[in-house]
Amino acid sequence: MAEPTAPLAHRATDLVRLHAAEVPFLSQIDVRCGTDAAARLGFPLEPNTVAGDMVRGVLWLGPDEWLVVGLPGTGPGVLAQLQAALTGSHASVVDTSANRAVIHLTGSLRLDLLATGCPIDLDPRGGWGPGRCAQTLFGRAPVLVQELVNATRIFVRPSFAEYVVDRLLAAAKVRS
Amino acid sequence: MSGRRLDAGGRIDRSRPIRFTFDGRGYDGFEGDTLASALLANGVDVVCRSPILGRPRGVVSAGVEEPSAFVEVAEPWFEPVVAAPMVNLIDGLVASGRPGVGRLPAQTHRTKPSVTRNRHVETLVIGSGGKGLEVARTAAARGERVLLVEREPYLAGSGLGRGPEGVEVLVDATALGVYDDGYVVVLHRGPEHDTVWHIRAARVVLATGAFERPIAFADNDRPGVMLNAAVGRYIRDFGVLPGARIVAFGANVTVLETHDLRRAGAEIVATADVREGWAVAGTEGETRVEAVHLVGPGGERRTVEADLVAVAGGWNPALQLYRAIGGGLRYDDDLATFVPDGSGPPWLEVVGAAAGDLPPSVAYWYTPAEDLSRHFVDLQRDQTVADVLAAVDGGLRSVEHVKRATYIGTAIDQGRTSGTMTAEIVNVALGWELGAQGPTNARPPFVPVSFAALAGLDRGPELLDPVRRSPMHAAHVERGAVFEDVGQWKRPRYFPHGDEDMQAAVARECLAVRDGAGVLDASTLGKIEVVGPDAPAFLDRMYTNRMSNLAVGSIRYGLMLGLDGMVFDDGVAMRLAEDRYLVTTTTGGAAAVLDRFEEWLQTEWPELRVYCTSVTEQWAVIAVGGPKARAVLADVGTDLDLLNDAFPFMTFRDGVVAGVAARVCRVSFTGELSYEIHVPSWDGPHVWEAVFAAGEMFGVEPYGTEAMHVLRAEKGFVIVGQDTDGTATPDDLGMGWIVNPSKGDFLGKRSLVRPDSVRSGRKQLVGIVPHDPDLLLPEGTQLIRSSTIGAPPVPMLGHVTSSYRSAALGWTFALAMVEGGRELRGRTIHAALAGGTAPVDVTDPVFYDAEGARRDG
Repeated sequence: MAEPTAPLAHRATDLVRLHAAEVPFLSQIDVRCGTDAAARLGFPLEPNTVAGDMVRGVLWLGPDEWLVVGLPGTGPGVLAQLQAALTGSHASVVDTSANRAVIHLTGSLRLDLLATGCPIDLDPRGGWGPGRCAQTLFGRAPVLVQELVNATRIFVRPSFAEYVVDRLLAAAKVRS
Repeated sequence: MSGRRLDAGGRIDRSRPIRFTFDGRGYDGFEGDTLASALLANGVDVVCRSPILGRPRGVVSAGVEEPSAFVEVAEPWFEPVVAAPMVNLIDGLVASGRPGVGRLPAQTHRTKPSVTRNRHVETLVIGSGGKGLEVARTAAARGERVLLVEREPYLAGSGLGRGPEGVEVLVDATALGVYDDGYVVVLHRGPEHDTVWHIRAARVVLATGAFERPIAFADNDRPGVMLNAAVGRYIRDFGVLPGARIVAFGANVTVLETHDLRRAGAEIVATADVREGWAVAGTEGETRVEAVHLVGPGGERRTVEADLVAVAGGWNPALQLYRAIGGGLRYDDDLATFVPDGSGPPWLEVVGAAAGDLPPSVAYWYTPAEDLSRHFVDLQRDQTVADVLAAVDGGLRSVEHVKRATYIGTAIDQGRTSGTMTAEIVNVALGWELGAQGPTNARPPFVPVSFAALAGLDRGPELLDPVRRSPMHAAHVERGAVFEDVGQWKRPRYFPHGDEDMQAAVARECLAVRDGAGVLDASTLGKIEVVGPDAPAFLDRMYTNRMSNLAVGSIRYGLMLGLDGMVFDDGVAMRLAEDRYLVTTTTGGAAAVLDRFEEWLQTEWPELRVYCTSVTEQWAVIAVGGPKARAVLADVGTDLDLLNDAFPFMTFRDGVVAGVAARVCRVSFTGELSYEIHVPSWDGPHVWEAVFAAGEMFGVEPYGTEAMHVLRAEKGFVIVGQDTDGTATPDDLGMGWIVNPSKGDFLGKRSLVRPDSVRSGRKQLVGIVPHDPDLLLPEGTQLIRSSTIGAPPVPMLGHVTSSYRSAALGWTFALAMVEGGRELRGRTIHAALAGGTAPVDVTDPVFYDAEGARRDG
């Protein structure tokens, strides 16, 4: 039968060493539309914030771009729902579920590890915390980071995913 | 040999001895020593020889301003040249004297591990004197995030060794540069690894202190001449007495605490106070100071036996970081030096000694003498007062020019001890006022830093640059693929069987595609969804041909030009719906094309209702090509009708392939019947294997980029970036047919009618066939008219851009850009090769299936 392959399935052991795990096959719908339409849909308008929950979260990516993240398999339904809701607005709804791998990073040092490569302020004293997200770099890889309660999600293009794991491992090694 | 370790005192830990090697000899020091203090303690006077004159040089200072004692560190980590006071003593240290010019060893050497860290704070304080600590304490009390960095191993203004409550402290941490908007880079030297901190601070406070300045006199470079404050630091912090019979010289000689000296068993044998008219005229000695000549107010001379001259020439605020970010200076008469003038960015403050909070001093820069040729100004550059005056005599007035004539200030210390002295010598020589011009500017980095440290984790084959892998990478490894780098991507170049070489493997792979079926991983192609009611009009402006009249379900090849009319990228556009396209780009051009789309939409045509979304990695792309491709795909299992009438060339269909939702495209880069299967990237490995399982009975072979290059070249298809170099128009490539000037404006259109774009004699794409069917021309080979290479300059007709052996044709061939090439078709020209020339025929660039009969199977 047709079994999909998660981009980091073969790095599971390394991820465990990092107190991390891959969250495979999440549905990820990229929405581009104007602020009015976004407000109507309940999308977050404050930059770099997240609305919703783990079942369906909406991440602010830019002034006219959001990522609607949901449980595996829900992509086509969410896509159709959003397209219907945006009928009549100038909008683009694109299924990008397989366009990014997702790493769930835990452990008290996770933000320190990310700070070896992310130039943005990931310090809770600077306002970073659950409900925040940002598109940034980790080393030379473009990433989208989302803070959860006691965990951080890293969204990264599958082709860069191993690089991110390798760089996290290198950072953890220098640290220890 | 007169330096020695004292029995007590200092911050060193006498219970923790450290063994180290210098210039091949073993020595002992203690935890807390620097290499400089340990060498002084062991009575090592001469650390290195000066770079030009070969004069013996010893330790002058106790810090980053050191202009004299330089070493190369070989173990445990290699550093080509570093000031001895900046080397913290660690077990196993191996160093040797190295005059202020470093060298890299021929063989690879161990570099210290390093890591980069990013930090954001409200207040960053650089320097830990009393004022710096006070500022940090106040900011922390306000609840700010405060970071304090100190380049020395301990805090200057706190005996406790730790910072105020709520302040994060880094010692052994040197600010390398202060940049726009409070961005500061700090090198933090640790025992095991270095950390390069990239700090963004809302406020930066420079509490960088001051550097004591020297005074030039005859043979002032002799070991045993030391800055006055450094003598005190070696006694107090390191328990090292650099000399027992001391001459104190300067305007501020009381700084050297006499009780420190008495306790250490040393004495001041003479004091030369310049305010009373006394000065040191010169020194004598073999390898270090043994006698000191003094000169009095009436010219009277006196010589004393001494082994150390402590020079107190006053203080210069340490303003290198401040000036490099745009801070200005003013002259302060009381201090006889330059202080901040209050300018500079609003987020930057200067406090304490750096701001001019210093004891008064007098302007006394060198002891007058007939012969000034051994009055050293810049020890690292072996430049003297005489050299400065010679530059002024030569007509130079600006210290910037004097710097470039003498190289003063260009060495590792960037003139920390010599810069202001040089400026004042020039000012006086010109008859100008003191302070008429200030020292030359220093630039980041404040101290030398290795590239390895700056690179941090970003080194080695995996991390220097990201290695990007396709979703089917593991399958390629399993099939024994040899990979090549295409941008950041690893792409299979060929798949050798057994011990096949590349030539044999590529020939086999090409024949598989021409005679049976081959499979290529084309996932790396860039892919962008272009959505919106104005998407058709937008794409008409981006491509040279019309995309607005493309039917839904169809595919069209397109070229994109730069504004100069030169080919920039190519790909296909698929029309998914009336208001929706998916366009592909070259592997290397994906990011640049999306950037260009966004740039034009955001800056030039905001009225166009178009959104672009990168979907490059949403899709794995598996290209099945060859006469048996249809049979293979049918066997893989699909609900699509694959017959030509139902699914013609340059169309796509959505359906199911190998049990997963797929989009299949009838495009061909080989000239053969081809199906490109697009599936979500996580389904790529499954579908890839399904193709091989089904294709086994058809002899399906995986093929790599090398075979793909041969196959496309046989068809005369160009690769943007290989056959083009940013100077080719569509017409130069024989692709004038794809330019549609009647459809309205598009990027590059105007440049296509520039006189130079339409002149005759431009280089044009042609085919090249060597007369020797086995001669494979190197890519880049120059093509010339005659069979003999005349005297230079040899007129060049053009050059080979692609060159291969064709298994299908049985001979070698090439593509080339040749001046007026299309008119030369049928003629013989010559390839210039090492050792002679070879005749080649100019042909049409399409070598195989010119009539296009094979694309439908």
